[in-house]
Amino acid sequence: MRAVSNHNKKSIARTSLIRTLLFVAAILLVGAQFDAYNQGQLAVVLILFIGVLSVTLLTGISGQLSLGQGALMAVGGYSTALLMINYKLSLWVAVPLSVISSAIAGLLLGIAAARLRGPYLAGTTLVIALAIPTIANRFMSVFKGDEGLPVDVGYPPQWFSNLFGEPGYEQWQLYVALPFAAIALFFASNILKSRTGRMWRSIRDNETATSLSGVNFSRQKIYVFVISSSFAGLSGALYGLRGLVGPSVYPVSLSLLLLTAAVLGGIRSITGAFIGTVIVVFLPDWIDLVLVNFELSEQVSNYLPALISSLLLILTVVINPAGVAGTRLHKHK
Amino acid sequence: MNTFLAALSSGTSRGAIFALVALGLVIVWRGAGIVNFAQMGQAMFSTYIASTLITNGNSYWIAFFVALISGAVLGALLDILVMRPLSNKKQSELLSSESMRAAVPVIASLGILGVLQALAGIIWAAEERGFPAPAKQEGFTVAGNVLPFTSFDLFVVSIVTVTLIITTLFFTKTGIGLAMRATALNQEVAKLSGIRTNRTRTISWAISGAASSLAGLLITPTSNLSPNSLDLVLIVGFTAAVVGGLDSPAGAVLGGFILGMVISFVTFYSTPEDVFLAILAVLLIVLIIRPRGILGSKDARRV
Amino acid sequence: MKNRASLSRSPRKSIAVISAALVGALALSAMPAQGASTPGVSDTEIVLGMQLPQTGLASPGYNKVDDAMRAYFDYVNSKGGVNGRKITLVAYDDEYKAGKTVTTASRLINKDKVFAMVGSVGTQTHISVIKDINRRGIPDLFVLSGYSGFYTDPKKYPTTFGSLGTYVTEAKILGKYIKENMATKNVGILYQTDDFGRNTVEGLGIAGLTFTAKKNAASFVAGTQGSGLDAQMQQLKDNNVEVVIVGAVASAFASAVASSNKIGYKPQYVVISVGSDATTFQTILGARGIPAASSAGLLAGTISASHAPSPGEADDEFVKAFKKINDEFNKGPATGKAWDNNVLQGMNIGYMMTAALMGAGKNLTRPGIINYIKNNPSKLSSAALAPLGYSATTHEAYTGFWIGKYDATAVLKPIDGTRKMWTTDSAKGPVTELKYTRPAIAADALPKVG
Repeated sequence: MRAVSNHNKKSIARTSLIRTLLFVAAILLVGAQFDAYNQGQLAVVLILFIGVLSVTLLTGISGQLSLGQGALMAVGGYSTALLMINYKLSLWVAVPLSVISSAIAGLLLGIAAARLRGPYLAGTTLVIALAIPTIANRFMSVFKGDEGLPVDVGYPPQWFSNLFGEPGYEQWQLYVALPFAAIALFFASNILKSRTGRMWRSIRDNETATSLSGVNFSRQKIYVFVISSSFAGLSGALYGLRGLVGPSVYPVSLSLLLLTAAVLGGIRSITGAFIGTVIVVFLPDWIDLVLVNFELSEQVSNYLPALISSLLLILTVVINPAGVAGTRLHKHK
Repeated sequence: MNTFLAALSSGTSRGAIFALVALGLVIVWRGAGIVNFAQMGQAMFSTYIASTLITNGNSYWIAFFVALISGAVLGALLDILVMRPLSNKKQSELLSSESMRAAVPVIASLGILGVLQALAGIIWAAEERGFPAPAKQEGFTVAGNVLPFTSFDLFVVSIVTVTLIITTLFFTKTGIGLAMRATALNQEVAKLSGIRTNRTRTISWAISGAASSLAGLLITPTSNLSPNSLDLVLIVGFTAAVVGGLDSPAGAVLGGFILGMVISFVTFYSTPEDVFLAILAVLLIVLIIRPRGILGSKDARRV
Repeated sequence: MKNRASLSRSPRKSIAVISAALVGALALSAMPAQGASTPGVSDTEIVLGMQLPQTGLASPGYNKVDDAMRAYFDYVNSKGGVNGRKITLVAYDDEYKAGKTVTTASRLINKDKVFAMVGSVGTQTHISVIKDINRRGIPDLFVLSGYSGFYTDPKKYPTTFGSLGTYVTEAKILGKYIKENMATKNVGILYQTDDFGRNTVEGLGIAGLTFTAKKNAASFVAGTQGSGLDAQMQQLKDNNVEVVIVGAVASAFASAVASSNKIGYKPQYVVISVGSDATTFQTILGARGIPAASSAGLLAGTISASHAPSPGEADDEFVKAFKKINDEFNKGPATGKAWDNNVLQGMNIGYMMTAALMGAGKNLTRPGIINYIKNNPSKLSSAALAPLGYSATTHEAYTGFWIGKYDATAVLKPIDGTRKMWTTDSAKGPVTELKYTRPAIAADALPKVG
């Protein structure tokens, strides 16, 4: 038995690794075709993809609905900024350390949330998303209030430029985000296929049966929160590195954006998470492409992306709850 | 002493409005098993309708009743167009689990909120507006001292009290009200005993829509009106409902006043920055000590 | 488990192949360097970029600025543009969310290929992009923020120039006035807890006015004024504060007055210019059922400061000319073009930008226009009643303010009958009187830089 399960683990890891490398190759090839603006947008896709994965794991796989992922992103962002500014750490050190601090935040949240279900959890996390950013103003001397902490990805190291040529600013953002997104993808796809993932799904599908079968239900729930928060924290750290870590970078609407992306793409699949992120990030640009042909006032065009993505959200849950990647659902079931 | 009175008075009138918001949430929760995060979006929308009517020269009271009616109609429409199809989809794979059945309507209500806010922005522009009060917003004078309690505050408290009495009577004395309670307790059993559950659900959405529109009309005179202006009210109202017990109308009222007082006293005696943290603290304390809320029933349907 | 076999048949080999492909892809994706011609400038057009909140909680008032700027540029274009080039303004909504500002900035720079950024609104949002904009050498002109951190170190941000006086400067000038004229009064403050409010407190502190929280200082979180400022005003009333300095935006000032009115509290208000826009004030109170005459009454007597004429000064030649252009060329929604301080500001930035483009000459380059602005602030006169303060040590716009009092018709009038300008710096320097004669506006309302 043991041998078989070891073999399984290995083959799962291999499949995930291949999947990840293909993903990296595709992003690099597509990124090379893009202009600087779209490279920046692609970097945002990678960054938010990690955050959407946190929703996929938490809500899609284990069935717990959180509207407060933005607060956990803020934890990652502030950790990174404080480490980079106060301790002069390189982002390559600061970002992984921030993942640890967000995991700890997730642990605390998980302990508090383990007994909450459904709308109770949703509402509580929403209050958290609202309350956490106000801490920045409460402890001004550390978090610098509304002005926030300016950080960015800086310049590539010399060896990189020597080897591959000098990348543009947006291109460098893309290259910084890519390895982290790849690691997140690798882990997410491993978790989903592993025994842990199956256990989480059973939590979602039938709590009573799961607890009867001897699984420590509360502990597993907290575990899901820790993992999901690590993803959110990583995403938030990279999101802050686009220029600023501050309360206006992590508003409540960011949490809702992640959820929208996860649902539109397909809340149970990694492919869905990626498709959903592409949709929410590029939707305003696509709308503009169409609007060029029409004379619309700013008042209308400014609200169109929000209107269309919200309509898509409703239509998805009512008509096609499995999302764009819904066909893949059956494979993973 | 003055500060204390002012905090008490502000807590009372705010609390009355939060109670109304919480009541709206409780009604839909009982009637349809859904926490409606779009509720204050609906209220914002009908308050804009009232504001437009007033700007065009209609009287406050015409606008007031049109807003209540449009709030009810909007609530019913949302149920028929979005929530009913959703609940009929329960057989689908994604909704097969208990937890997802609770999560998906929440997601749908967030979508509705987004649509309403964007539409309000398109129709009425993102301009901040004020909204009139039907009574004077100047404090009563007692023995030469101006009290921080106005005729409008009195109006708010009385109209909320009346609303609460009507709702309680409705739920306990009328056929529809009793049917709604039965549906809330067990939809299948209610169906078998001949209750038209679809209809009772829609009615609860309509009543909730009217109640939250009333809250919108009562809160905007002391704040300003914009597509996002009621977001915070919903979050406070939700906290109030959970504190009081999500399935208990009396609990919603109690929770509303508790939240009103907490917010008021924190603002008066600490700093306003602490308000959100205080709301979070109250919520967490209640959920840890008494997860079903102060007046929530033991077998509350906690999905 | 069977279904996974297909992908993992020869895993080592595929991993090696893909890894090799990756290195190749990375090498391929390196982009060649950009050409040297000036972006955003052709023989017939100059493209300018701007970011501001057009939707969301922070947008009211500010969302009018871009329409006003565009109206002025359209007017210039109708007169043949600048050196034969028409001015196009591309403005994007960043919802006052810094995460979005980064995206819109990248879009303006890379997609719209703007020549310069002009009149961008906001502090937090601008902090998120100012470093990148400067690093790329893009002119970041006439920023609509009084945050001194943007301007007082030109070595750090050489391409950024402001279009407001700093909050600190204005607070110092108002502080000195209060110190000298209301010495016997109990002075308190209401401020929003962001850079604007805190810079105000800082400037007043330099002027010798200090405050104690819970006593004569009341604060609120910016953006929450919508839920009323009852607690704050009650606190000030209970502490017998007679003069309330307001370091907050106009909608908050309106909320404060409504809350005070409720408890019969009638202090003397001294409002930082950002918060004393009469139109916003009257619109909000008006919609609450307070008619214009009464709200003007509530505003009357309020002391404020300004670097420009009040939009209500109908006989000011700049106000007259700008108002006419606004009526004719502003394509914004009806509420967006209503004449007020925001529209005046937008027009004024349009006017200064046009002057800068004229001054930089036919051969328009980014370093060229920056040098021109840096070296010729005196040629960039506008409606402002103070000269631009740009120098080698600071890029603050106006270091001069006049102090006024609102009259019964909601127009800010010089406080002692005659207009006196005061000037100071954003540091500890003294407040002194400023002598400045504003150059007249030409008959065609176009700037003359010759």
